[in-house]
Amino acid sequence: MTKNEEKSLNQSLAEWKLFTYNPTTGEFLGRTAKSWGLILLFYLVFYGFLAALFSFTMWVMLQTLNDEVPKYRDQIPSPGLMVFPKPVTALEYTFSRSDPTSYAGYIEDLKKFLKPYTLEEQKNLTVCPDGALFEQKGPVYVACQFPISLLQACSGMNDPDFGYSQGNPCILVKMNRIIGLKPEGVPRIDCVSKNEDIPNVAVYPHNGMIDLKYFPYYGKKLHVGYLQPLVAVQVSFAPNNTGKEVTVECKIDGSANLKSQDDRDKFLGRVMFKITARA
Amino acid sequence: MHQKTPEIYSVELSGTKDIVKTDKGDGKEKYRGLKNNCLELKKKNHKEEFQKELHLDDHKLSNRELEEKYGTDIIMGLSSTRAAELLARDGPNSLTPPKQTPEIVKFLKQMVGGFSILLWVGAFLCWIAYGIQYSSDKSASLNNVYLGCVLGLVVILTGIFAYYQEAKSTNIMSSFNKMIPQQALVIRDSEKKTIPSEQLVVGDIVEVKGGDQIPADIRVLSSQGCRVDNSSLTGESEPQPRSSEFTHENPLETKNICFYSTTCLEASTSPVGTVTGMVINTGDRTIIGHIASLASGVGNEKTPIAIEIEHFVHIVAGVAVSIGILFFIIAVSLKYQVLDSIIFLIGIIVANVPEGLLATVTVTLSLTAKRMAKKNCLVKNLEAVETLGSTSIICSDKTGTLTQNRMTVAHLWFDNQIFVADTSEDHSNQVFDQSSRTWASLSKIITLCNRAEFKPGQENVPIMKKAVIGDASETALLKFSEVILGDVMEIRKRNRKVAEIPFNSTNKFQLSIHETDDPHGKRFLMVMKGAPERILEKCSTIMINGEEHPLDKSTAKTFHTAYMELGGLGERVLGFCHLYLPADEFPETYSFDIDAMNFPTSNLCFVGLLSMIDPPRSTVPDAVTKCRSAGIKVIMVTGDHPITAKAIAKSVGIISANSETVEDIAHRLNIAVEQVNKRDAKAAVVTGMELKDMSSEQLDEILANYQEIVFARTSPQQKLIIVEGCQRQDAVVAVTGDGVNDSPALKKADIGIAMGIAGSDAAKNAADMVLLDDNFASIVTGVEEGRLIFDNLKKTIAYTLTKNIAELCPFLIYIIVGLPLPIGTITILFIDLGTDIIPSIALAYEKAESDIMNRKPRHKNKDRLVNQPLAVYSYLHIGLMQALGAFLVYFTVYAQEGFLPRTLINLRVEWEKDYVNDLEDSYGQEWTRYQREYLEWTGYTAFFVGILVQQIADLIIRKTRRNSIFQQGLFRNKVIWVGITSQIIIGLILSYGLGSVTALSFTMLRAQYWFVAVPHAILIWAYDEVRKLFIRLYPGSWWDKNMYY
Repeated sequence: MTKNEEKSLNQSLAEWKLFTYNPTTGEFLGRTAKSWGLILLFYLVFYGFLAALFSFTMWVMLQTLNDEVPKYRDQIPSPGLMVFPKPVTALEYTFSRSDPTSYAGYIEDLKKFLKPYTLEEQKNLTVCPDGALFEQKGPVYVACQFPISLLQACSGMNDPDFGYSQGNPCILVKMNRIIGLKPEGVPRIDCVSKNEDIPNVAVYPHNGMIDLKYFPYYGKKLHVGYLQPLVAVQVSFAPNNTGKEVTVECKIDGSANLKSQDDRDKFLGRVMFKITARA
Repeated sequence: MHQKTPEIYSVELSGTKDIVKTDKGDGKEKYRGLKNNCLELKKKNHKEEFQKELHLDDHKLSNRELEEKYGTDIIMGLSSTRAAELLARDGPNSLTPPKQTPEIVKFLKQMVGGFSILLWVGAFLCWIAYGIQYSSDKSASLNNVYLGCVLGLVVILTGIFAYYQEAKSTNIMSSFNKMIPQQALVIRDSEKKTIPSEQLVVGDIVEVKGGDQIPADIRVLSSQGCRVDNSSLTGESEPQPRSSEFTHENPLETKNICFYSTTCLEASTSPVGTVTGMVINTGDRTIIGHIASLASGVGNEKTPIAIEIEHFVHIVAGVAVSIGILFFIIAVSLKYQVLDSIIFLIGIIVANVPEGLLATVTVTLSLTAKRMAKKNCLVKNLEAVETLGSTSIICSDKTGTLTQNRMTVAHLWFDNQIFVADTSEDHSNQVFDQSSRTWASLSKIITLCNRAEFKPGQENVPIMKKAVIGDASETALLKFSEVILGDVMEIRKRNRKVAEIPFNSTNKFQLSIHETDDPHGKRFLMVMKGAPERILEKCSTIMINGEEHPLDKSTAKTFHTAYMELGGLGERVLGFCHLYLPADEFPETYSFDIDAMNFPTSNLCFVGLLSMIDPPRSTVPDAVTKCRSAGIKVIMVTGDHPITAKAIAKSVGIISANSETVEDIAHRLNIAVEQVNKRDAKAAVVTGMELKDMSSEQLDEILANYQEIVFARTSPQQKLIIVEGCQRQDAVVAVTGDGVNDSPALKKADIGIAMGIAGSDAAKNAADMVLLDDNFASIVTGVEEGRLIFDNLKKTIAYTLTKNIAELCPFLIYIIVGLPLPIGTITILFIDLGTDIIPSIALAYEKAESDIMNRKPRHKNKDRLVNQPLAVYSYLHIGLMQALGAFLVYFTVYAQEGFLPRTLINLRVEWEKDYVNDLEDSYGQEWTRYQREYLEWTGYTAFFVGILVQQIADLIIRKTRRNSIFQQGLFRNKVIWVGITSQIIIGLILSYGLGSVTALSFTMLRAQYWFVAVPHAILIWAYDEVRKLFIRLYPGSWWDKNMYY
């Protein structure tokens, strides 16, 4: 039995050897050099042709697109909400007012995010009339100023620590950009605390108002320098309230066409985040 | 003691009795070869067991001793209580069916066979992945668990399906096996009772009537003209007489034992043969029981298609595993997490495994099996469908398979002339000259000197199909005269029989004396038929053109020439003569006494000769020619006489008209057989006697060197030797058989074909296929179907494999380029088990591209089902084109929604982060995670639609492998269009009907996206047409070798 197996093993080894290189026919891996050459040439031509063809069809497809506006916007009818500082793994912020390193990253992130909103950056932008949609006909589209002072305590102008050192951390909430979106009514962002013992949630600008003049958005290419309206949320932890955590939910309110209740999309028109203040 | 207990294998002794009369005493020596061969079949201990059990001396005992031995009474029978005890002790009198694999084992085999293992691995990887996720994050999504369950479900469902298909085809067979329960007439408690023969026990006294099956091994106590047909045991259909005398030491040869499952015939010498006998063995202890258990000792060979499918599974699984592992390594080295890498691995496995294919193959095979059943080939084992197609040697029986299995008048000789009679199935066309007055006399003898009669109540049955009481020759003569002369019974009535001497083996003639219907001379007519030389001895004159001429030397010589010629055709020749008894010596009132023989039996007038043969079926010569052009060697294996065998072989073309055997050449050149150059002969007739003395090398030489071979006078066991010889030639061997003794050969053969009409149950059990009409031509149609299915399976597999690349590429691109996943695992399953199933089955209905019966049988080890060109062309040509087409649809959807192709590159990581809800697209818009996911599903649907559209083109191009689609006809196979329609409808339902079911990850796709891949589909079609065109234009070229699969 074992003898047979050995023999067959030897045999198959020999067969493999012969397959790898067969000196009598000059075959290498079952093909002669000429055959390999032909095969390689064939695939070179064939795949070259396929690549060219694919590139061509892709090019044709790209020709059907508009540079400024995507062809369809049906999959994002309503904007989502997003918070800053940018979360690292989940929407959770932990800081300790006594330990500046614990929130240095957040402040860094906020500053970076607010950079386009500095007066310096905004000086070329237009001052638009409040309270109405700012529709433009082009060909040049202008962006409206967003005075950062609207964010008051969270503007970073007076308090470079955005309240973290006082135990009143600021979180910025922004509404996703969607081309051509025209909110109806008077949209505002409403934030509530889910913890009853820390109900103190301040929202800036007043009432979380989002001015209609920032809509509609005309797209990255046309609408150069566009600034999204922001809303800041400030949670006030009382000094004795250390080691507490609070969950805040922000929702768009006051506009019929901006949805904030979707079973599947937890970020459509709303956002929920947790802040933990350690001692 | 041992010399009295012969080997079981000498069973067929009786069949060859007449040629080996000289060594009758030494049964062992004669069957040496056989015995040795069969000894290999079973284990040593088995052998001893058999010998012990075969220690049968009941045939030597007197009735009294028998009564004593079995505690019974010949007149009164057993008592019912004693019978019940014995029944409890010995069990029912039936053969234990061959051991069946338990159903649960069969089922489990389906669960782990083929690709199932791979899918199980995928499922377990899913659960492991979830385990890893769960350990780090308790709120991990259950998606992986669901996917694992779906994969497991897929395995279980396809397993259940395959199991169901197999069970269904087994059921066809078992219904076939179930026959009406046999009844036996038994004497118990001194009463005659009819009981099911299963309840018989040893010692029972049974009565068997003509036409009944012998219900157990019985010792004959008294019999009236009983003859038995032992063909189910020995394959020899010559009836054997049975009486109560002890005639031979060997229990298998003695006349006073009848064997289980043989048939008691109605003998011609008595209207109804009856036997009274004592049951001496029941159930598995009968001779037939031993042989049946012997057959189960021969292993089942793996069918060629099973080997092919295994080969194919290995290829695909090999590709899947190696690509999977390769990309696992790549993923890990690209710094992907192990968890992600595992998920890639699952995707790659699922994409690579054609989940639905094995089920499709099963369905395809069973469709063909159904089609074959319609053509009288009942396939027991689905895989045998294809085996028949790859057959390269058919070992065929003669009687009943090649021939019509009935004696038929073939030639007549009168007026110094040989006339040919029509031997076709209906005799409709008798063209010989019937005007001669000699014919009038001859026909009268044929009609009158005949004891055979039609069974009553068959007025509407065509003559040739009417059942007749009488032996084969008389039946032939009766039907012959009925066809030519009309109502034979009426003629016999008008010529009343007054005296008769029936045929017996010492006289070798049959004589009867009749009144005549001639109104002018009230003379008696004496008619006689018999062995020609005997008849001629009794004659002094011969009738030529109605005139009596003296029988001189020269006429005697012409007689002999004719006799030799007809005999040389392998035909059974009978001579006919008559004599009008002078009215003065034999007045009307004369009383004939057959014992005193008070009438002349010499100086008669010879009228003519008539020869009979079991003629070939009219469809057989065509079928043999077809086999020949299909490269299949047809070997005749028969128990018949070599001359008859050769004659039939010549008439059906197994030996072609211009080929000669060594003996023929010797005869023609008038030299000794030894001097003939064996290479000159194309044909060979080998007898069982010669075969017995041959070594396997010599047999190999014969099988390899002669194109046309006839084995004559062989025993059923020698068939096994022949089959093994053929298999040593690397041939796929089909064997036909009907007797119980054929079953080892049937099992050993790659495909055993049992006769549905003449076959015994044991043969049918051992066979892979049952020929319902016993007709050789049906085998050839079977071969055709088998070859077609092989071709069509190739097409099905090529079709199915193609899309695997289109399913696989997304994962590879996803890993390497980092695009959002183009197609989901579930979506792949919907293609493999949803849209692609019906189209791939539809390919089974494709007609052959060219005459598949004009090419050689495929070589077992060279012409693989899945060969390199097939895999390469499916994977690297069409598959790749499909992948490109599907990617085009995918990119189109993403681009038109805002994500341009260049944005998508390396977007994967951000795209999949759950907390990133403001991912920016190419136009500055921001997407939440769910919005992206929904877009991803739209991408899946788009990719799915892309594959679907191109699979339609793939389906169309797979209709042919060489011919243009336009040669084949685009609309000839309607089922293909059913398949295409189903594909589209299922696609529409998935996208628009189930688009809202989140778990399925389909979305409503814009109608125009269905057409994005259409140019690619057209390109696939055009490319394949070009491929086929070059294959047709340059056969044998580099292109042909690399592109023809």
